[in-house]
Amino acid sequence: MSHVDDGALHAYLDGELTPVERVQLEAHIAECPACRTRLEEERALVARAGQLLSLAQPVERPAPPMHQLRRPRLAWRLRVPIAWAASVVLAVGLGYYLGGIGYAGRQPETLASRVSPAPPSGYAYTERAEPPPAATKAPAGPPAERRAANQVVARPEETGDRDAFKVRSDSVALTSGVVAIRPQTELREAAPQPVPGAAVATARPSADLTRERGRLVATQWPIIRPGPARELLGADPVGVPGLAVRNIRRSPAGDVVLVEQAIDSATVIQVFQERAEEEDRAMLFRERAAEPQSAPPPTAQRQRAAGTERLARFIGRLRVEIAGPLSADSLNRLLEQLKPIP
Amino acid sequence: MPEDLAEVYRSTYRSLVRFLYRKVWDAERAEDLAQEAFARALVHKPENARGWLFVVAANMARDEARKAARERRHLTLLKSEPGAVDSAPEDEIDAATRRDQVRVALDQLTPRDREALLLWDAGMSYDEIASQTGLARGAIGTTLARARRRLVEAYDTGSEGQHVARG
Repeated sequence: MSHVDDGALHAYLDGELTPVERVQLEAHIAECPACRTRLEEERALVARAGQLLSLAQPVERPAPPMHQLRRPRLAWRLRVPIAWAASVVLAVGLGYYLGGIGYAGRQPETLASRVSPAPPSGYAYTERAEPPPAATKAPAGPPAERRAANQVVARPEETGDRDAFKVRSDSVALTSGVVAIRPQTELREAAPQPVPGAAVATARPSADLTRERGRLVATQWPIIRPGPARELLGADPVGVPGLAVRNIRRSPAGDVVLVEQAIDSATVIQVFQERAEEEDRAMLFRERAAEPQSAPPPTAQRQRAAGTERLARFIGRLRVEIAGPLSADSLNRLLEQLKPIP
Repeated sequence: MPEDLAEVYRSTYRSLVRFLYRKVWDAERAEDLAQEAFARALVHKPENARGWLFVVAANMARDEARKAARERRHLTLLKSEPGAVDSAPEDEIDAATRRDQVRVALDQLTPRDREALLLWDAGMSYDEIASQTGLARGAIGTTLARARRRLVEAYDTGSEGQHVARG
């Protein structure tokens, strides 16, 4: 047997030789002083490398119980029940407001309201929140300029790009995606407290949506749990990893899921997501097919439309839009980070 | 048949955290990523959970590193004050210094050598490292031999440089 190479010596030291290889190597070592010396040198090298790596390891802490991973984020665990309670409070509050109680100056603590683009169905409070236009009142709280400063406008349908995605009539408000989010001075992470009358539905025909753009937000959409959201989308909802999830909502038509995430107590971003249309998927098929099977995080495909690419993209089978009181550049960066929230 | 994920979790969590730590160099972040990887495994129920977890973890760490690089660029624009390490106790400084030297030394390995070494140190077998890295199984010993040698050499060179600078 010729001399043993380094690889074989390391495999031997690592206990990774087959029994036959081990016997052969040991037989050679027994007869070859040079290889014996090298074996000891390599043994010292293996030990030294291991010791160096041990200098670079985190303080070991016990793994959290596995069942906690089933609901991955603390935010999900805490918020969803609270959000359910909050939606009840909101419903009562709306009734209170529509009963004629004004709320000037009281509302900055919650998200602004969203026009329901489709006739809301099955939600008492949304139905009650649809008075004739006479009841359509703009929130009177924050000064107009402050509100304007916090508005984010996304208008993919205005780019006229042919690659832009089909928009079903009931999701017009989503894709016209204008969102007004006001600073939330009071809202603490663990205790979102909608103030009665804070959110006002001003249902209008779709044709008027463009004019209403400045006040479209989806805070009136029903809050749902992650499970139903997953069923609705046929995939895990996406969000910005590491950000607390404030609420998950669904559109009245049930085709769009909204994930609201708090960057801080005053800044909430909204991640709208829906199943991509068949033709969109077809367009993506090649990309996905090219992905290695072992890399589960889906590669997103940016929308090609020049005017909209910053605010919408595909993630796996989902078409996702992002909105929030941030610059387009920041939103775009967040958009790039979106990942499935397991 | 899928492995029992609970068993994989018990046996692999710490080594996955360690593996991730040497990529993101932030203990809490490494734990977060490890937990996220397991949470994803619960959803995806992969056949070979252990291998799958390390692939996912490596992908997440790579994304994380890119993000961190972007943030570092922003931060260097924003602040230029010196670090607050001066007030830390001597032995903590030493530990941090040694860790940084290991980090620098690891950075001098080729990505493939480094990956093989970190996977081995995370408890993976040669077979697992081979399927993870795409290397032939027979090449793993040689790869690890080279990686270990370069790590030690780079570390020693770095330490000498430090001593010269201090002395």
